[in-house]
Amino acid sequence: MKFFICDDTPESFFTAVFYAYSESDCFITSDKEIQLSLGSEIVQVHSDTEKCERVRRGLYRYDNGAENDILKALRSCNNRKEQICFMYIKRLLEFKKSVRNAFNLSEVVELNNILYQITEETHRFTGFLRFKENANGTLYAPYSPDNDITGLLMPHFAARLNAPFVIHDVKRKIAGLYNGSTWIITCVGDAEICPSDSERAFESLWKKYYKAVNIKERPHEKQMKSSMPVRYWKFLPEKND
Amino acid sequence: MIDAEKLEILTESAKYDVSCSSSGSKRVNRAGGLGNASVSGICHSFTPDGRCISLLKILMSNDCIYDCEYCPNRRSAEVRRATITPTEICELVIGFYKRNYIEGLFLSSAVFGTPDRTMELLIKTVEMLRHEYRFNGYIHLKGIPHADDLLIMKAARLVDRMSFNVELPSEKSLKLLAPQKTKQSLLLPMKSLQNAMLYDKENKVRRRDAVIPAGQTTQLIVGASPETDGQILKLTEALYRNMGLRRVYYSSYIPVVQSSLLPTVGAGLLREHRLYQADWLIRFYGFDVNEILDESENLSMEYDPKCAWALRNMHLFPIEVNTAPLATLLRVPGIGAKSAYRIIEARKYGKIDFENLAKMRVVLKRARHFITCKGKFYGTENSQQVKNCLLLEGKNEVNEQLSMFSEKSVALSALTGEV
Ligand code: SF4
Repeated sequence: MKFFICDDTPESFFTAVFYAYSESDCFITSDKEIQLSLGSEIVQVHSDTEKCERVRRGLYRYDNGAENDILKALRSCNNRKEQICFMYIKRLLEFKKSVRNAFNLSEVVELNNILYQITEETHRFTGFLRFKENANGTLYAPYSPDNDITGLLMPHFAARLNAPFVIHDVKRKIAGLYNGSTWIITCVGDAEICPSDSERAFESLWKKYYKAVNIKERPHEKQMKSSMPVRYWKFLPEKND
Repeated sequence: MIDAEKLEILTESAKYDVSCSSSGSKRVNRAGGLGNASVSGICHSFTPDGRCISLLKILMSNDCIYDCEYCPNRRSAEVRRATITPTEICELVIGFYKRNYIEGLFLSSAVFGTPDRTMELLIKTVEMLRHEYRFNGYIHLKGIPHADDLLIMKAARLVDRMSFNVELPSEKSLKLLAPQKTKQSLLLPMKSLQNAMLYDKENKVRRRDAVIPAGQTTQLIVGASPETDGQILKLTEALYRNMGLRRVYYSSYIPVVQSSLLPTVGAGLLREHRLYQADWLIRFYGFDVNEILDESENLSMEYDPKCAWALRNMHLFPIEVNTAPLATLLRVPGIGAKSAYRIIEARKYGKIDFENLAKMRVVLKRARHFITCKGKFYGTENSQQVKNCLLLEGKNEVNEQLSMFSEKSVALSALTGEV
């Protein structure tokens, strides 16, 4: 079997698709720890703008939403994400029309599943993200999502907040920065924060509220944990008392 | 800034209102303003009782002049009393909102002074939020019964959603348990709000000037009074139809106050769960109330209402998944709205076989007895056996519900009631 190893940029992935398309037995991945079997052949892929463009145009021809779906799916933490996207693309090119609703194809179901996880996690963090206010008025939210969703969260918060803010994915060491009018994604290390005067007070009022609004006579921890998984608790003040 | 003890008192007084939803509004932020509303609603946290926190749910005051029998804040109760100012509420909302603790405010109040006076202060609060603090996030305001119609209309232009809680499912129970509220004091403002919404729609009033873009809701207490499920659901249906409500919430009765007029035990959570399921069938699956009730005008406790209906109507099944229209698919136990839609879409690409169905999130354990796939039947022919299968499967669900009940927890997964 041929293994096409790409880096984690979309250009590299699309270039890999270009090469892999004519192969009968192959696998695309950016996973550096992949287990190779005996007799497997490795091809290191280097991004090639022209080949990448050709694949993109091919997608666009049959389904103008497919590229967006693929770009989103590549944010997944699933280590088979490139292969899942590749299989989907093959189906699209085979049918020569949109297959987004062909739920009887396993490739479509698989892509949909990872898209669903990303959408779901993004939606959850529109709620679970917690900002701290800095003395200079900037809001700062550290978090550690499963998927690479910072770029998907930025527009949501840019539309509603009227102060500069930072969303920091501490695991991937990247951050979304918003200056009050535009936002960018950039690499960061550790962030230094100096909380505003009212920060402590609001945080403790929030903890108070969280306790008071609970109906003690009716505990249902299971429900709480399935709606708000424990792995997300680290950054929630109400769960760190 | 607000005093922590006041916050505690006024939150504890507000927490029994079930609704916390922030959905249904598309309010946009304006330059320099803070906040917008997300149409599908957002949960910001979950409490150990399993409920979602979306809005800051708080009373302005719990110092009530009324004496509703079931209410912990009623005049004759001995509880800590507190009242907060519009400014205190605004500061709290803004402080919480920008830290992304909440999606907005659910403001309500006991009646202190007079109904009009109370309503005026509630309006003052939301006016300050919208104009001084330029807050464009979600606001749900509970209306005060007996307040002037003009005040209600003024409030409705500022907020996303309003609710007047019917609480008791019949006029008789209302008279007995909430003597100062009348049926008219709840239904008339609902009607005026509905008329105002219709007026805005017909006259194409701009969205940001329109009244309550997320509509109205109400809440019914289940099990504090003797009404059957049938009576409750017929009232629900009438409220959806005649008042155009977005949502009716059911709150299973919790005995938080001692009273000779009230039961000493809480209502079953399973019953609340079944009501949500039935409500869902009425709103989205084209069922009529009478179809889903059993002979005693109640819902089956053993089976969910769709299963119970299907078992009473075995002569209509099995149906072929490759040809059945949407309305028929929706009536099959184990096929939800999403899977029905997926089936319809997937049929355009070829015939569906039995294996495909599981991937479309059809619950085959249930559905198999009611469908054929390419003409082939995979279920049990004998209807008594079908009942047993479903009962066994349903038992798990019931057990889960009951175990939660015994540990006195609430099933708010049931809030949607999807079956
Ligand atoms: S009006 Fe009735 S339900 Fe409302 S706070 Fe007063 S006593 Fe309670």
